[in-house]
Amino acid sequence: MGILSAFAPIARGLVSAGVGLGLGIALAQLIAAVTGKPATEIRIALGFIFGTIGWLLGIGVWSYWAREWFGLKPRVNEAKGWRRYFTFSTDHKVIGVQYLVTFVVVMLLGGLAAVFMRWELMDSGSGVLSPDQFNMVMGLHGMLMVAVAVATIMGGFANFGVPLLIGAGDVAFPRVNALSYWIIPPVAVALLLVPAFGGFDSGWTAYPPLSVINADGQLLVLFAFLVFGLSSILGGMNFLTTIFKMRAPGMTLGRMPIFVWAILSASLISLTATQFVAFGLIMVILDRVAGMAFFDYTVGGNPLLYEHIFWFYSHPAVYVMILPAFGIELEILSHFSRKPVFAYKWVVASFLAIVVLSMVVWAHHLFTSGMSNYLHIPFMAMTELISIPTGAVFLSALGTLWMGKLWLKTPMLFAIGVIFNFLIGGITGIFLADVATDIQLQDTYFVVAHFHYTMVGGEIFVIMAALYYWFPKITGRMYNEKMGVIHFFWMFIAYNVTFLAMFWVGVQGMNRRVADYPAELANENLVVSVAAFVLAGSFILLTYNLVRSWMRGPVAEANPWKARTLEWQTSSPPPLENFESPPEVLADPYGYGEKGAVHARFPAPAHGTADADD
Amino acid sequence: MARHFAFVAALWVVISLIGFTLVFNFTPFPVAAAEQAKAIDEAFMLLTLLAVPVFSLVVAVLLYSAYRWRSFGQPDEDGPPIRTNKPLIIGWFAITTALTIAIIIHPGITGLQEIRAHDGKPVDLLVQVEGRRFFWNVMYPEYGVQSRRELVLPIGAVTRFDVTAYDVLHSFWVPAFRVKVDAVPGLHTEIVATPDEFGTFEEDPNFRLQCAELCGAGHATMRLPVRVVTQEEFEAWIAEQTPIRR
Repeated sequence: MGILSAFAPIARGLVSAGVGLGLGIALAQLIAAVTGKPATEIRIALGFIFGTIGWLLGIGVWSYWAREWFGLKPRVNEAKGWRRYFTFSTDHKVIGVQYLVTFVVVMLLGGLAAVFMRWELMDSGSGVLSPDQFNMVMGLHGMLMVAVAVATIMGGFANFGVPLLIGAGDVAFPRVNALSYWIIPPVAVALLLVPAFGGFDSGWTAYPPLSVINADGQLLVLFAFLVFGLSSILGGMNFLTTIFKMRAPGMTLGRMPIFVWAILSASLISLTATQFVAFGLIMVILDRVAGMAFFDYTVGGNPLLYEHIFWFYSHPAVYVMILPAFGIELEILSHFSRKPVFAYKWVVASFLAIVVLSMVVWAHHLFTSGMSNYLHIPFMAMTELISIPTGAVFLSALGTLWMGKLWLKTPMLFAIGVIFNFLIGGITGIFLADVATDIQLQDTYFVVAHFHYTMVGGEIFVIMAALYYWFPKITGRMYNEKMGVIHFFWMFIAYNVTFLAMFWVGVQGMNRRVADYPAELANENLVVSVAAFVLAGSFILLTYNLVRSWMRGPVAEANPWKARTLEWQTSSPPPLENFESPPEVLADPYGYGEKGAVHARFPAPAHGTADADD
Repeated sequence: MARHFAFVAALWVVISLIGFTLVFNFTPFPVAAAEQAKAIDEAFMLLTLLAVPVFSLVVAVLLYSAYRWRSFGQPDEDGPPIRTNKPLIIGWFAITTALTIAIIIHPGITGLQEIRAHDGKPVDLLVQVEGRRFFWNVMYPEYGVQSRRELVLPIGAVTRFDVTAYDVLHSFWVPAFRVKVDAVPGLHTEIVATPDEFGTFEEDPNFRLQCAELCGAGHATMRLPVRVVTQEEFEAWIAEQTPIRR
């Protein structure tokens, strides 16, 4: 037994998933026989749905949760140490680590897909991938990286961090939290199976009519997206409840760390907007499986409808990605400048303004779609207005740095790099919000470079900063500083060469999502590809540093950064109940340079030492 | 404090000057062969020129702070507890709001008006364009002919493209004209371009009608050569084309 027994919950999940899959397929055969429809897509749909339900019941929903519904006592897995990570653990710290490890691996896979794309695009003409393979790799790169961008901070760092930062023992709904993680393996399995079902060639946006008429692999992608969205909705609900209901005594809204405000803002979006993309995806699924025709114009459907529904979620979604990144960014800048977050209240107001504005800008993705012309000016204006609250975040970042004591550790280097990168991302966004320039730039590499500057230069760089920043807290060990610094400069330079060159090829007339381009653009593309390979190499160093340090890095102290937020006032890693004695908050955590400022004290419980095993 | 601001201001000026030099010396645009292309490039240029001082200001503060207040070891004391500065914050909001409103009006609304100047008005030439996986069919209803090999346009003619798709979404894009509009099944979309420079695909690949909306395996190479010619050459070419088949 020994090591193998640790995987018993997963084995139960797999067996149960198999039973569900079998049931789903049998039901599909029955429906196909009765209706006379082709069985393949119905099999995929019902197989996936029943298989996922089976997986969830087997992995822990039954024993931790559903047994209660039938008057039985829940059975909880008492695994310790690394074994916890393979169970339906309800500890937010375990779930945070599950998310982080999962999505760092997904990021590396998505990066590998990018390497293949740049390999194909090194020269014009046909290379390592066929056009069909290129489209699939491109679509998978998009899907995987969108998932990384949504879930790494919201699922990983927010799960680990938010309860600690507000002085809570856990999230409001621990079992929902575990569910939101364990629903993700079926997503991964569906995406891995896509090549076996003919691939998919419609990119992550999956615009119909193409996504209705293409290979069966598309259906798996749609289900993967749908289930991933469910996870995001559950997470948003959980964070909102946790932040409103579970704060430590004295932790008023105005004293919350800025990171928690960022998660609150992003959760408002993921709870509400995600439901719209689910509508859109279900409509495409119904078009395919049930023969409906929401997007088929020959019987009264309209392909533009999908674009509106899709971007009604997917534009707010970029703020689900970037708002948490802003939060961590300002957090790190403050602690490593030894100064309070500058203009805190204005930043909070700006986050909330971004939440509202993000919901009314979606149609700037549709300036060339053929939607009515009179919609252009309002959507251009709304989009450009977002630069005002975003500008306030820049003011806060610069104001926090100004006259600080800048401790240039790896997290701080990445945080400084983010300001530069996101500045380019933000400014180039104006060119795409302007209708006239967007008519030329839409669907070119200028767009690709722009959103990589916000999502990679902004968010992924923040994720790097956060990985180094919280590494000692999460693992109890210290990463290697020298390797961290080298990683920063390596990644920063290679990244900027790659994507600055992409702006150039975009303006020069290269459209996006192409496996081939006119030979005149070959030199610029070679530069992009070589720089992209160098960029990919930097992640090998990151992985080596993290894996090696986790296994045998020096033991970390409780507060290596001398930071003032609550997570650093407990041991590294924190105990199961987070704090030896629950904190009582007296002031906000940014009292740097203020004499006698105390964020929180930890009064001993009146009834004596808390019993951890109880 | 005043000294810090003086250094940052100097750095701002230097970085801005470098920026302007780069902008004026490295034009990134490919050939602009239509009136609309020139209007769009002008808007692009204006936004770039506005972006230079904004970019330079942030970079100047960033570089100066990171250099002047750096510390490689753990700082032995905290920075000054500056939590807010009302005049600065109000000023920052006022300037960013003013800049935003300015660019919404110009080049935003004005640029859009230039692109849409011919909407609803008679034009010199109508070309119907249909995207199909993976080729383009261009039809000249006034002449009753069509082509799947080339899009030929007379110089100076205000040309309206009436775009649609047969199967899935495509997008009509001629990089040299800078105009783009999606081809949507069941919908007719329109865009106007007035070619004002001669050119062919063989000389410059930006004279191509390129599909710009992912449509499947043949998407990248779904392109049609574009040629801008004199009125006489145009008429001669029209005479050689096949009649429209419906």
